[in-house]
Amino acid sequence: MTQAQTILTGESVADLLTRSYEHAYEQGWTDGLPIIPPTPEAVERFVAASGRSGDDLIGVLPPRKGRATVEVIAVNAIMAGCRAEYMPVVIAAIEAMTDPSYPLEFMQVTTNPMTPFLLVNGPVRQQLDINYGTGCLGPGWRANATIGRSIRLSMINIGGALPGVYSKVSLGSPLRYSYICGENEEENPWTPFHVDRGFERSQSTVTVFKASNFCNISGGEGVGADEILRHIATNMPPMYGGGDGALLLLGINHARSLFDAGLTKRDIQQRLFEYARVPAAHFAESFATTERNAGRGDADSVWRARCPEEIYLAVAGGPGPQDVYIGAGMPQTRLIRGL
Amino acid sequence: MPTVMVVTDTFAKFGRRMASTQGCPYVIIAETPNPIRQLEPDALRARAQAMLPTVIDGLTLPPAEIQRRMREVAREEIHPSGVVRSASPV
Repeated sequence: MTQAQTILTGESVADLLTRSYEHAYEQGWTDGLPIIPPTPEAVERFVAASGRSGDDLIGVLPPRKGRATVEVIAVNAIMAGCRAEYMPVVIAAIEAMTDPSYPLEFMQVTTNPMTPFLLVNGPVRQQLDINYGTGCLGPGWRANATIGRSIRLSMINIGGALPGVYSKVSLGSPLRYSYICGENEEENPWTPFHVDRGFERSQSTVTVFKASNFCNISGGEGVGADEILRHIATNMPPMYGGGDGALLLLGINHARSLFDAGLTKRDIQQRLFEYARVPAAHFAESFATTERNAGRGDADSVWRARCPEEIYLAVAGGPGPQDVYIGAGMPQTRLIRGL
Repeated sequence: MPTVMVVTDTFAKFGRRMASTQGCPYVIIAETPNPIRQLEPDALRARAQAMLPTVIDGLTLPPAEIQRRMREVAREEIHPSGVVRSASPV
């Protein structure tokens, strides 16, 4: 291991673990929650599981321009509680976040609580037990909880987004602890999200969105496809921070109802694009003007996206008349290698 | 190229940290009290005029003089001693 090491001693395992947590917290290495100490042996194991060399550079994380090597990513993944076999997913997500078109630096320093949202597709979901069904946005699944958390720890420790020092987020967000789920491809009557983006169904990918909120939409069950979509659309308010688009995680009940009504994904995008419009008079003029100038509105109304394609659709979760709307955009999809 | 940062005071130290990541730790920063969104044009103009001497300094002083003036300030602001998180501006 090439990183500096700290030697801690304790009178018992419990004592040592507590000291590790306290030390990491004092150093500013945590999100506030307890961590697993990244011993050199564990780091070696995680690097080996990645299928890469420890000094492979995956990306440079702003604002401090920290070098996200496989070894440093492993340190943060261990602290987050990941299993070694999660490393390829974490690495693919960091690759996506460091794409020049992804607004990582803005995300790291802004007062807005925007955060990465990770959507996982392909066989990796079963392989690593990444939840895509009931309760997929948490809590309760180790892979979901710790892969997302490792991304946040990397943003803090590699990127230097120390709260209040480099990160100027005004209120923050609970979504910044971990925000991730798999797509429920098994109950998605259309093509999976990653296939729509040009990958094979048999490939595993992670897509990282810039996301700004979580909004669960309840209801709309049993009233027909058009009413379902109107109900969803009226719960998709425009917002700062996620203004680049919208991600709709359709629950499996509504996905089935819409499919059975003969709607394609493209049909749904088009209808939501038309329905999710609010009279401009509903908003402060400055906001309406901003949205209009960004191509998301006209003289009469503010739109949820510039075009239907900016309303991204995926299917997730378990049974129930529930959907989730996330103000989200700028998706970057990466193949998960080395599984 | 002569450059000055104009920023509200809440973000001044943060601004210097960000400037330092771009290789400009000694940039002259013209500050005005936060917030400014609510100000009417006349009040905003008065704020801008109050910053003008600092702006002129930053655009006209020799780089060596700017570095001399800002060295200690930059050292304290970019790496505040012992601070790893803060709930108030540091």
